[in-house]
Amino acid sequence: MQAIPTLLGIMVLTFLLTRLSPADPIDFMVGGVTDITAADREALREAYGLNRPLPLQFVDWAWSAVRLDFGKSFFSHRPALQLIGERIPNTLQLAVAGLLVGLGLGVPLGVVAALARGSPADHTIRVLSVVLHAIPDFFLGLLFVLILGVQLRWFPIGSMNTIGVDCGFCWDRIWHMAGPVLLYANAGIATYPRYLRTEVLEILGQDFVRTARSKGLRERIVVAVHVLRNALIPVVSLLGGILTIVISGSVIVEQVFNWPGLGRLLFEAAQNKDYPVVQASVLIGSALLLASYILRDIAYAWVDPRIKVR
Amino acid sequence: MAQAPALPMDLAPVERRVAAGFWSDAFWRLRHDPPTVAAFAMLLLLVALSAGADLLADRVFGISYIKQDLFNTYRKPILEQPSWWLGSDNLGRSEIVRLLYAGRVSLFIGAFGAAVSMTVGVVLGISAGYFRGWWDDLVVWLVSTVSSVPRLFLLIIVGLLFRLDPLSLAVFIGLLGWLGISNLARGQTFALREREFVLAARTIGATPVRVMLRHVFPNVLPLLIVIAMIDVGAIILAESGLSYLGFGIQPPVPSWGNMLTGATQFLSRAPWLVYGPGFAITLTILCLYLIGDGLRDALDPRLRGAK
Repeated sequence: MQAIPTLLGIMVLTFLLTRLSPADPIDFMVGGVTDITAADREALREAYGLNRPLPLQFVDWAWSAVRLDFGKSFFSHRPALQLIGERIPNTLQLAVAGLLVGLGLGVPLGVVAALARGSPADHTIRVLSVVLHAIPDFFLGLLFVLILGVQLRWFPIGSMNTIGVDCGFCWDRIWHMAGPVLLYANAGIATYPRYLRTEVLEILGQDFVRTARSKGLRERIVVAVHVLRNALIPVVSLLGGILTIVISGSVIVEQVFNWPGLGRLLFEAAQNKDYPVVQASVLIGSALLLASYILRDIAYAWVDPRIKVR
Repeated sequence: MAQAPALPMDLAPVERRVAAGFWSDAFWRLRHDPPTVAAFAMLLLLVALSAGADLLADRVFGISYIKQDLFNTYRKPILEQPSWWLGSDNLGRSEIVRLLYAGRVSLFIGAFGAAVSMTVGVVLGISAGYFRGWWDDLVVWLVSTVSSVPRLFLLIIVGLLFRLDPLSLAVFIGLLGWLGISNLARGQTFALREREFVLAARTIGATPVRVMLRHVFPNVLPLLIVIAMIDVGAIILAESGLSYLGFGIQPPVPSWGNMLTGATQFLSRAPWLVYGPGFAITLTILCLYLIGDGLRDALDPRLRGAK
């Protein structure tokens, strides 16, 4: 229920930011057309409701946004929602895969680092996670494109499919996804080992681990059942920050790899000053983030039974 | 600790050791932490190089950062000519000199933006934690709202609407980056305001402002310094990401981010242009991160010995 005032706040913020601009949207709409008269401009302003008081405009806009009507793109003249709807599956495909790969690599690395404390593996993992944390996403992506794409030609340098091939979700797609997915996974690989190492070490020192060991359980089972179950709590609580990075970073990842997703749509719309599409993608992006926060909270309650869902 | 046994009279104490205070103790720990010292030295060097960009461009490289040389575009890095140590770009400008000036812009935005987000975060966080009630609700609502909008999305809108110079960009990024600091300050204040010394201060009639400034703030400060270091890095990252997308600092003013955009356009002709700005950002953030890490170990007594 807390999501509702938050959503309202996001709407006010998005609306105000685009309307407070010193520039006149009509200028962008007519673009290069020079032989437009003042009367035509006035008619356009009237038609788009730009002459009415700001609060009224907001109520209007918010009411249609609630009904998922974000207006039409200034350029393609198609409904903004339709444009976004086409892009969302592409973004989610990458983001979910990246999140999973990040978890799949980051969590084991953290556990290994803790179990092999002080060993070369531990130090390597620590240095790796610090360095990965420091490299900006776009630079890492560019290095990937430059070295593995341009110079070695192991991976394609962008887009979702080889031209002419569209087989849905097949090897060609997975091959194209490798770069962006790794880039998304970076946030997880850089974050999890650091926190998990401390957490696992702490858990290993606790009484129930000693009990499990002393009743003769094999070490593998102790780690897999007793330790991992408890180490999942910080994994879930760290998800919030990583989700933010993933959704916010979609602009950059999709830009680097020329991936037609929500982030790239926002980027293109922003370049064209296509306000309806910009507003709609910011709202939808925020809604995605809010939804994933709620999912995280549910997962949290599931992982840590001490927390009750209110 | 047990009381020191009384000394025999002829063994008069030679020297009384003054117990190290919190800050000098932390400083001692920092000095004995090689990675942190190295990171700090590296960061100082980067700051010095950027601050001395005018002097270096003039004396060492003999070329200004806007000087174009259209006969010498896409020069490969060579050692003989100082201004081509990192090659030249599509307009024949010296990459290394631009890198120095870009460092000035990026580091300034990081530092100033962090100062803005620090101020906003501390004021809102501590006051929300101290007064509670409707003010707290308002701050929490504000935090959850702003944190639900992907930050880069918001920055793109801002960059789209206003033509940003480094100062205003720093203010904008700072205004979006105070959420974590505010949460932290608020949480700490919640705990601190129940403590006896705060009660004592209130009993003798200290005003809320005085209690917050003199009694709460100093106790929150150590953790905030750690966050601030990491924050400077995050802000530099946000700025360079935004500039990379073309909505941040606009050329010809160089920033590490927009230099990378330029480099991407000529990826096949001059791939070496990618490395300079990329590694500059990475190095800066790495240093800040290591310093933050070292500071946390030095400033948080609870972590001592836990390593």
